[in-house]
Amino acid sequence: MKTFDLLRQGSYSDIATVGIPRAFLYYRFGVLWKTFFSELGCQVVLSDETDRLIVEQGDAISVDECCLASKIYLGHVRSLMGCCDAVFVPRYNRLGKRKSFCTKFQSLPDLVKTTFEGPVFQSQLSDDAPESQLSLRVLSLDVDEYAGISEEDAFVSLGMQMGRSRKSAKRAYERARKEQDSYDSKIHQELCSDLRSRSTDSAGQEKMKILIAAHPYVIHDPYVGKPIVDMLRGMETIPLYADHFDRSRAFKRSREFSETLPWLVNRELIGTILELHDEIDGVVLVSAFPCGPDSMTNDAVMRYIKGRPILSITVDSQSGTAGLETRIESFVDILRYQKQGGYGHAER
Amino acid sequence: MPNDKSKHLINTGEALDNLKRVYTDIRTSVANSDSLPEPLYRMRKGVKKERPRSGKRRKVAFMRYGYYDIAFRFFVEECLDADFVRLPEATRRTLELGTLNSNDYVCAPFKHILGDYIEALELGADTLVQFSGPCRLGYYGELQESILRDMGYEFQMVNFSEVSEKSAKETVQYCKKKINPDLSMPGAIAKFVVALEMIESLDRFNDLYLEVAGFEEEPGACKKVRKAYFDDMMQVKTMQDLLTAQKKGMEALEAVPKRIPNDPIRVGLVGEYFTAVDAHSNLGIEDKLQAMGVSMARMLNMTSRNLRYNEKNLRAGISEYVEYDMGPTSSLTLAAAKRYAEEGFDGIVHMKSSGCTPEIDVMPALQRISKDYNIPILYLSYDSQTSDTGLDTRLEAFYDMIAMGKAR
Repeated sequence: MKTFDLLRQGSYSDIATVGIPRAFLYYRFGVLWKTFFSELGCQVVLSDETDRLIVEQGDAISVDECCLASKIYLGHVRSLMGCCDAVFVPRYNRLGKRKSFCTKFQSLPDLVKTTFEGPVFQSQLSDDAPESQLSLRVLSLDVDEYAGISEEDAFVSLGMQMGRSRKSAKRAYERARKEQDSYDSKIHQELCSDLRSRSTDSAGQEKMKILIAAHPYVIHDPYVGKPIVDMLRGMETIPLYADHFDRSRAFKRSREFSETLPWLVNRELIGTILELHDEIDGVVLVSAFPCGPDSMTNDAVMRYIKGRPILSITVDSQSGTAGLETRIESFVDILRYQKQGGYGHAER
Repeated sequence: MPNDKSKHLINTGEALDNLKRVYTDIRTSVANSDSLPEPLYRMRKGVKKERPRSGKRRKVAFMRYGYYDIAFRFFVEECLDADFVRLPEATRRTLELGTLNSNDYVCAPFKHILGDYIEALELGADTLVQFSGPCRLGYYGELQESILRDMGYEFQMVNFSEVSEKSAKETVQYCKKKINPDLSMPGAIAKFVVALEMIESLDRFNDLYLEVAGFEEEPGACKKVRKAYFDDMMQVKTMQDLLTAQKKGMEALEAVPKRIPNDPIRVGLVGEYFTAVDAHSNLGIEDKLQAMGVSMARMLNMTSRNLRYNEKNLRAGISEYVEYDMGPTSSLTLAAAKRYAEEGFDGIVHMKSSGCTPEIDVMPALQRISKDYNIPILYLSYDSQTSDTGLDTRLEAFYDMIAMGKAR
């Protein structure tokens, strides 16, 4: 008997509409999640793209010291209240040895539940708040391959708890996994074609390629990371997403960098920097303040990666991009000067 | 990079001197190095892996961690038959050294421990020991090693993260290989049992100390007894010594004249593994509360988190608040808080280093416990900037609040 057979079955069977917050691991597993629930015959409601209101609402109900990405996540969950039967908040712990996620993803279902049942959120509700806004139902699953619960086990078990047969749950998972895999290889192909690109800027120089190494939920978030990508594009460079690179290859390469680094995503980002080191002109690290894993790996990357200039950017909920623009502009300027032979090239 | 601020100054100076020169002339330039990145020091070619020679005694240092240096000393000297480098009390300089050489927003224990290591190396240690854990702690050892190597220190790192998923036997073998190749395994394992018993003994003594020290008639009496007890424990060589010293210490502590009120103010201490335990990291919160005449309890210690830890059963007791294990000490924090609330404690103090993700994530659950049982919780977050005076003010206000609540 497998672990998940012991779980209560059918306890989620009344859920017809599933809300998915467009934050955190949605940016890694979103295709899988959406496909899985639609295959089960559920209606999927995706929260809107992050905007100022979502950030503010998430900030208001979060513990002050949470990282920006966590505040944004809670804002997305808040925005889904009343639009669905339950919000999907999975728990991702470990996908194997040295393949952990930040402890945030371990605590997420409980964090969401306790936050929305807790005194801080309840006290913010107005007296005439509609009933649908008062309570939140969480649909959750637990992926912990090290404890013997694989992704497949977790999803099949969830499908069964939602009242589907094991067979149809399994079929839904397999389709979803296939969709996610083909999406992942598509974005990898896009990255490769960007790498091969020889397009030129307005000055007739070949466009520089800048690798952005950041957690996907930071860099692909329209409110947090997109302005940075836009700035790089605006300066006529080709920004490349490190998280779009082939993950298993990147993970393997990261062994060269570190033996004990526990976090899967950071390993993949660093492995990608190593894989693409010779094909890029510079690296930009983007972290959400105060990201636990990044607080250590950024330091390690700066010590280890030589030969390519690195810009480290930390974003928090303070808005205003003027300071950011100056930093990115000067970084790109430095890269251009270097490419042309250094500061003294005019004298040559 | 905040790590080498001094280097920046030098670079700026160099750059000013070299304004006229071609950029690539500057040694530190990145423009001309198209080569692959350099591997970490440990993996670089040409650096021979240092293996301990037999006959040479290693000088081993741990981080400072509450009173556990007593057990670390026993482990190194008695189990592994090597020399233990005992660190004096931490000072302001310790944390400054650690902060200067680490990233700004890495957790405070990282900075404390890095400072400890620098001081240990200055005192002649040649081997440093780091533990492993399910959070950032799992990567402490490797990054600290790399920082210290970049600073120019030479030493050997015993990093338990390297064997974190191996059996206990393999872990001891790892210590043998790294620290003392001549070690006899059966003898070492017998001594290891004593080391574990020592940790439990120290924690039992501390539990009693926290409970009663606030009511001593003569100020400082309990502290004096504790110091004598610690000195005795430092001399322990065998299980018999340990039992004798433990009995003597406990009896002496019980014999200290005390005036215990009928209904004393009781405060439960919960929080993150390092900050809530280590007095230097939490700015001596236990001493401060003791001076106010408070009886304290702290379930969090090495006995309950490492030696007798049963996360599943702890979590079963708090199932109305959480469903899953939220990380390192979170289940213990919540279980302890709930127990103190049920036992009618007057308040709870939650301590963590600033930015500690798992302990931040338990805070909404703590807020619910606080509301359900109507028990006040003081949330303290420590970083390298936290000031002593600021803490005093908050503690006094907290004390006044719970004392008034009791009088009513």
